[in-house]
Amino acid sequence: MIEPIQRKHMQVVDRVKDYKEAITQAASPLVKDDYIRETYIAQMIESLETHGPYIVLADDFALPHARPSSAVKKTGLSLLVVAEGVDVLGHNVHVFMVLAAKDSTTHVTLLGKLAEFLMEKENIQALKECSTIEALDTTLQERWPHP
Amino acid sequence: MKILAVCGFGVGSSLILKMTIVKALKELNLDAEVVNTDITDAKSYQADAIFTSPQFVSDLQGNVKVPLYPIQRYSDKEEIKTQIKALFQSKS
Repeated sequence: MIEPIQRKHMQVVDRVKDYKEAITQAASPLVKDDYIRETYIAQMIESLETHGPYIVLADDFALPHARPSSAVKKTGLSLLVVAEGVDVLGHNVHVFMVLAAKDSTTHVTLLGKLAEFLMEKENIQALKECSTIEALDTTLQERWPHP
Repeated sequence: MKILAVCGFGVGSSLILKMTIVKALKELNLDAEVVNTDITDAKSYQADAIFTSPQFVSDLQGNVKVPLYPIQRYSDKEEIKTQIKALFQSKS
């Protein structure tokens, strides 16, 4: 797979009310495309509130996800950029990448690439500054680690 | 040396943490085995150190004898390098 995230799974918005809205909106293309059931969204929010904000993997970047379960039908990622940023339990976040993992193995290669991507802080900065889907798509294509 | 990378489910964030620790070790020219797991398994796992979020550090304190190293940002290589250096210093 060359592109980690399909264009139809990317969104850019100016603002959201709170992190719950951000996670719900970020995950909505995956619901629509039948990757996840809506219950997965509640599970992601519950996990964040129970376990704390470690899904904020870097400044400005969160990876909302929950345990692999029957709420996930297909492994995938979706992306939301919130131009104004939003507070996630004390951390300001502009980029939300929702991870839907069907089991604990199929997404390992994908997350390896994501880890590499996130270690370069300017990659997150570049995503944060995107104001259109086209820009997001191009930025990911250019910066996503290739094998 | 065995380092445990821990998150809530052991599938997403702890995997990112593990990969960042591996990269940081490589850049520091240090050698260790890194395994990722969830918070429940972490309590019974044999390891030399646990790297996890500040909240999980509080949860694990008193439950494990393994030294705990808090990590705020799981993909921050510099923050992780600081903790790796502290770990190796404590073992030498």
